[in-house]
Amino acid sequence: MLWHVVKRELFEQVNSLRFALAMLLTVFLMLVNAVGHIDEYETRQAEYGQQVSAYSARLEQNSNHLYKLVLDGPGELYKKPSPLFFCAHGSENNLPKFASGKRAGWGMHPVIDGKPYNVSGIWRLKYSGFPPIKAKDMFPVFLKIDWILIISNVLSFLALVFTFDAISGEVEHGTLRLTLSNAVARRTVLTGKFLSCLISLGAVFMSGVLVNLLLLYLSGTLQLNAQEWSRIGGIFVVGLLYIAVFIALGFLISVLVNNASTSLVILLLIWVIWVILVPSMLGTIMSGLNQPSIRRGPSPVYFRRSGLQERYIARGLEDKAPTRERPPTRATLLWAEFLNEEARESARLHRAYLNAQINQIQIAREFNRISPTAIAQYAIESLAGTGFQRHLNFLKNAERHADAFNDFLISADRADPDSLHVPFVRQGMSDKPVSFESIPKFQDRVRLGDAFKGAILDVMLLLLFFVVLFAAAHVSFQRKEI
Amino acid sequence: MLWTLIRHELLMNLMTFRFLVTVIASMSLVLAGSIVLTDNYERRLASYNEDFQKHQEGNFSGKTYSSFMPRLDRAPNPLSVFNQGLDKRATNSLQIKIGEVPFLWGDVSRNTGFSNPFRYLLADIDLVSIFQILFSLLALVFAYDAIAGDRENGTLRLILVNPVGRGLIVMSKYLGAMLCLTLPLLMSFLLALLLQLQSNAIHYGADDFLRIGGIFLTTVIYTSTFYLIGLFISSVIHRTATSLIVSMFIWVALTLLYPNVSLFLVNRFIDTEERVRQADQAIDQTLEQFYWAEEVPGDPFENPPLLKGSEAGAGSSSYTHLKKNITFIPDASEIHVPTVKAYFQELTSGRIRTANKIWQIRETAFSETYIRKSNIARNALRFSPAGLYHLSTEAWAGTGLARMQDFFTAGRQYRETVLDYFYDKKAFGSRQWFASDKGAVRWDDIPRFSYQPPGVLEGTSNRALRDLFLLFLFNPILLMIIFAVFSRQEV
Repeated sequence: MLWHVVKRELFEQVNSLRFALAMLLTVFLMLVNAVGHIDEYETRQAEYGQQVSAYSARLEQNSNHLYKLVLDGPGELYKKPSPLFFCAHGSENNLPKFASGKRAGWGMHPVIDGKPYNVSGIWRLKYSGFPPIKAKDMFPVFLKIDWILIISNVLSFLALVFTFDAISGEVEHGTLRLTLSNAVARRTVLTGKFLSCLISLGAVFMSGVLVNLLLLYLSGTLQLNAQEWSRIGGIFVVGLLYIAVFIALGFLISVLVNNASTSLVILLLIWVIWVILVPSMLGTIMSGLNQPSIRRGPSPVYFRRSGLQERYIARGLEDKAPTRERPPTRATLLWAEFLNEEARESARLHRAYLNAQINQIQIAREFNRISPTAIAQYAIESLAGTGFQRHLNFLKNAERHADAFNDFLISADRADPDSLHVPFVRQGMSDKPVSFESIPKFQDRVRLGDAFKGAILDVMLLLLFFVVLFAAAHVSFQRKEI
Repeated sequence: MLWTLIRHELLMNLMTFRFLVTVIASMSLVLAGSIVLTDNYERRLASYNEDFQKHQEGNFSGKTYSSFMPRLDRAPNPLSVFNQGLDKRATNSLQIKIGEVPFLWGDVSRNTGFSNPFRYLLADIDLVSIFQILFSLLALVFAYDAIAGDRENGTLRLILVNPVGRGLIVMSKYLGAMLCLTLPLLMSFLLALLLQLQSNAIHYGADDFLRIGGIFLTTVIYTSTFYLIGLFISSVIHRTATSLIVSMFIWVALTLLYPNVSLFLVNRFIDTEERVRQADQAIDQTLEQFYWAEEVPGDPFENPPLLKGSEAGAGSSSYTHLKKNITFIPDASEIHVPTVKAYFQELTSGRIRTANKIWQIRETAFSETYIRKSNIARNALRFSPAGLYHLSTEAWAGTGLARMQDFFTAGRQYRETVLDYFYDKKAFGSRQWFASDKGAVRWDDIPRFSYQPPGVLEGTSNRALRDLFLLFLFNPILLMIIFAVFSRQEV
């Protein structure tokens, strides 16, 4: 019986004007998206390749001296571009492309025993690198035509246009009474109508996606592996779920309101608020109320004011310079302790500053999740490997690499029998070159697990929205007098 | 007769559910938007004041002529609450240097009102974009059944039985609905103004009120354009449900898709990189020429230094061509001072020549790349009412590219004034150019910079009025088409 209802509804749906318009609009936008992204990944990939080779060239240059690596660190760690950029731009242009493991940026020149002793801080990880605003930004602001825009704005709108008169229209015409006079349960009618809407919109979405992927594939832009195809599959499923939420919303309002036009007006207002205004206003308001608790990153010489330096000077830091004497003198150990603590403390302050910034955005994102549009956007970005969540994963990768790099420095020092093994003061460490091959290279890996894990919460939330709206539509339809 | 009909339409509309929704939606969105935007403006103003104070002290603290490198600040525009344009994104301070003509986007310092660079991930919205989305939608919602609905109900036939012209009916429907839409619009504008005037930071003058009036007028005409589009659809399509669906598709296409798709394509396919790289190379060459041909031979501070035993004070650069502040010259070196003076005279005139050459290269390159691209984008936007609305309100608010360029033009003029002042004082060949040992420079009579944005009646309104006129042009055309269609229709 259900299948019968679905078939009938589907037939009616597909022959309507709105189906044709929907198909036209979606396919057109997907074409625009594909045309706009031809060769785009290659350009970004080439840029990334250049940056990475510059990174290894610098590393190779520094490998002739272990202590140079201690001072200069691994250099700029670049974020790998995602091949699924065309699905979700994720504001990548406003995010840093790298984290930098670089020089501390300070030097001390105390005079010890009548001789100046020059020392500079060891490397640490910094999270700067926000792209500067350039002349090309005088271009007017616009929404990027990616899959997220097509799904979140256009397909949700189509879902409402498909459903606004599903019940109220039939009530107006009296056909619903006719249908129900047959031996059909109300829930069968509603479920049948729901499925037919989902199938026809799914077909529209699917055709758009196929046209898009085909064009990108034929132009040679799309060279995906199995992992990336499964991401695209994930994005498609999230898109369908998001469409289902709006279909359920359409049914709910259509059941509650008896006049088809009124139901569309209400739906459109909900749509404007949910889809367009909440994601762009609520987060901004909330983040305005929650200013980051730390307003500035640490300056390179923060330790002069923070008391760290004084504490060590009180312990006799500037009384004696470190030496290569064996066993290591007290001064050598003290200087090593000072340098290590300073680097650790600085890294901690940089991280705290970053955390304060991230918190502000996280709060805004939590509030934005009132709107299913924001939820779907976050899920799709996470699956496509772009945007905020991906940036956080990248930073985690960079931090992991920073630890690995320091471990390498210590183990390279261990391998030298002439060294005092007191990292990271110059006199306490090996003086020899290290082999470039043995230095760990940063590789920004995008794990499928991370992507799905990042999206799972949002998918659950979407599911919750759907279940609540669909159940509400069901209950009110059951109790409706016709 | 017309008045009776308008009153009828007005009453019919006022009592509907959709009018209630219009009032509530527009008021609450404007309320939320105004609070956020005003707060952001206050933040930017506070940081501007701080910078301005700092620079005001620093600009005239130099002891020699060569250390005069003032920083000039652009105040944030309070009307950016309505249309933020480039106000937040563009640079808001420039530095006057002898060796460089200031140009837009040359400096990366910006005052965005937030201290967290991740904030760019969150979308920003201004009042004009709220109106742009909301009122176009509402206008269509008011219009879709204006004719089709009456026809379906049979009331249209009933009205036409009376001796009323068809033109009159269309006119009355149009005016009635527009009155109905203007009312909540006016209320929202007043609410927004009230909220802004509550803030201590915003002071509007007569000029600003004229501009706000211009924005209001543009919004009314924009709404009217969409109402007429809806009325046209309603007169062509006989069923209200179909008319509503078609209206909605057209709305999505005109407000959401056309502007974004056209900008997306223009941004992707108009390439500027190659031309910019060429210009950068030319600039590098010019600089190299300057450094190799004019500066290095005979630098009086290097091998061997002529002013032996002299001491440099605070703010003196180790590079000869930058700031120099020598606080002590021993008597033995005094005989070399005329040589050094002559050297600086030569050097500065070379630097000014080079700066002018570079500026010429840069100006042509910019107008052929970024400005051209931005103009193409703007012209593409002019094909849609939403784009015209955006451009016109941007010009009214004075937050567009033109205003940013205007500020930099004023900066360049100020640089010329300063150079003239230096010529008059014969500063380039004077001792005080590089040394303050015989007394510091007094900055009493140097011209000061002040930037007054052009008033609304002095030409900026032209741009706004041009786009407003284009937007307005849609109205009589649509009205005529509707008359033509409606008067030949069988009811």
